[in-house]
Amino acid sequence: MQLRSLSTIALGLILLSASSAFALDLRELIREIEDQHTGRSSRAVMNMQVETSHWERSLVMNAVSLGRDHFLIRIQEPPKEKGVATLKVEQEVWNYLPKVDRVIKVPPSMMGGSWMGSHITNNDLVKAAKIDQDYDFALLGETDTTWRINCTPKPEAAVVWGRIVYLVEKARRVPLTVDYFDEDGIKVRTITFDEVKEIDGRQVPMLMAVQPLEKPQESTVMHYRELEFGVPVEESFFSLRNLRQR
Amino acid sequence: MTMLTTLALRNLWRNHRRSLLTLTAMVVSSSLLILALGIFSGMLQDMLASATEQYHGHLVVSRDGYQDDRDLFSTLAPESELIDRLSEQEGVNGVSPRLRTFGLLSAGESSRPVELLGVQPAKEQQVTTLQNKLVAGRYLTEDSGNGALLGRGLAERLDAEIGEQLVFLTQAADGSIGNDLITVTGIFATGDTGHDNSLALVNLNWLQRLVILPGQAHEIALHLEDPLTAPQKAEALEKLLPPELEAIDWGRLMPEMNEVIATYDVSRMIIIVILYFATGLGILNTFFMSVMERTREFGILMAMGLRPWRIRILVLLEALLLGVLSLVIGVGLGALLTLYMREVGIDLSGYITPVTYAGGTILPRLTAVFEPANFWLPALLLLILCLLSAFFPANRAARLQPVEAIREE
Repeated sequence: MQLRSLSTIALGLILLSASSAFALDLRELIREIEDQHTGRSSRAVMNMQVETSHWERSLVMNAVSLGRDHFLIRIQEPPKEKGVATLKVEQEVWNYLPKVDRVIKVPPSMMGGSWMGSHITNNDLVKAAKIDQDYDFALLGETDTTWRINCTPKPEAAVVWGRIVYLVEKARRVPLTVDYFDEDGIKVRTITFDEVKEIDGRQVPMLMAVQPLEKPQESTVMHYRELEFGVPVEESFFSLRNLRQR
Repeated sequence: MTMLTTLALRNLWRNHRRSLLTLTAMVVSSSLLILALGIFSGMLQDMLASATEQYHGHLVVSRDGYQDDRDLFSTLAPESELIDRLSEQEGVNGVSPRLRTFGLLSAGESSRPVELLGVQPAKEQQVTTLQNKLVAGRYLTEDSGNGALLGRGLAERLDAEIGEQLVFLTQAADGSIGNDLITVTGIFATGDTGHDNSLALVNLNWLQRLVILPGQAHEIALHLEDPLTAPQKAEALEKLLPPELEAIDWGRLMPEMNEVIATYDVSRMIIIVILYFATGLGILNTFFMSVMERTREFGILMAMGLRPWRIRILVLLEALLLGVLSLVIGVGLGALLTLYMREVGIDLSGYITPVTYAGGTILPRLTAVFEPANFWLPALLLLILCLLSAFFPANRAARLQPVEAIREE
């Protein structure tokens, strides 16, 4: 009798621990993924290759970030655009133009516009950091190696997308693809990740390709050439004055 | 026939008070109608002019499909040979090549989305009339470099004054970040909030350099002597243009405006019908009375051998004479009133603000224009109305039996 009740408890405990191991915190996972390139603080050198039907261009940029609300990106190459910089502080985006030595704040009506001529919008810069707050998550499907996670916006959230679907690799907890759907449920953009590398004990994809689906011949590819986490940087670094430094 | 005319004139004069009253009714209704139609046309012309002469032009030549998506890369080369060929067309009195780009205009803390139109100042003034809409500063000149004309709403939102430098940011044709300073040289106000809040004019070659489209333009805007011939002109031009270019008239650029004009034609007819129906009843009444009064007289005339159809002619002739007389006076008076409204007009700016509708702006003023249809249509219909109203009394007179008619008291 005692033995039986003991074994029941033991079985119960095993089941409990098993299920808690399975109780995947999707919100935490998405948060991890969205912060994968920034961490607590980071410094990066990246290459951005933009291709459209009319032109293609290649930029080299330096980026410094602190948490999810502060980052500063500055173009290094090509020479013509060297020094053009973007500062993001919380929900606001400023651009610095060295040619005319002016800082421009991106107005709300232009947040949907292209950032630095790429297929990334200003909105992507500010909204991505809030995905885990603005969306509800559900497991859409699961294979041995991947999770497919569906994100639907919370009713009160001011968001751009109607739905986002993440395909995440289980073992390394890195995204493989992210599909973006508009309000009518039509898939409009896919981001593909590749070249996962371990940096400071974190698994980070060094390649990120943005593919707008209505223009299949166009794309933006971001390639991290250098990336380090835990760099010493203060909040005061992300100031308009610093933005103007060439 | 001379006898009938004399008789008709005498009959009209016999009860001259009644004839005069009928005449007055016809004169007043036709002259007021002419005035009302003139004012109506004036409003329409204001609207059409604002829609075409403040922005589009009457006719626009551009690459196929450019007007639908305004793609930066749908450019054409406005070579002087093409410009000359367009200028030589009959009825074309202004030709202006333009380059268009969209971007961000910024002053200090505030920035606004803006449409920049690169123009050659001397040529643009032949097509649009923004030079008459300046509220501050001067129009662009060929050598004003980075000078810009801003809409008033845009200037206010950016808190920009004449001489101030603003930053313009856009994406150049090579994908790079195009940015430069512009200097505000003038501010215009058209009353069309859409353009006043977001349009700026700059020099064509400055904009070509900024967006890296040397020697290119997006469209060539034309000004026509008669804007209403634009569809035919567009068709004629299509044959002269290279196949990749198309000519689009203002009616296709602004389909709503076409609707407005079609509506105008219908409402003109409705107004005429309503006003003339009332007048017609008056005329009908006059002639019935006059025919009834003269039953005995008609009987005697018939007994003396006047054929019934001549009796009918007599009554119709009376109506026609009265009609022609009121037509002459009515059209004369209507022309005078229209002339007054054209030269003087009524300023309503103290009571209402400009209204933008269907792409055109209705200015807060009443003014009239001379349009032939506003004269011949009421005049012709007045004559028809007279004859129609007199037809039944004339028939009645013609069907009288002489013997009975003579006995009538």
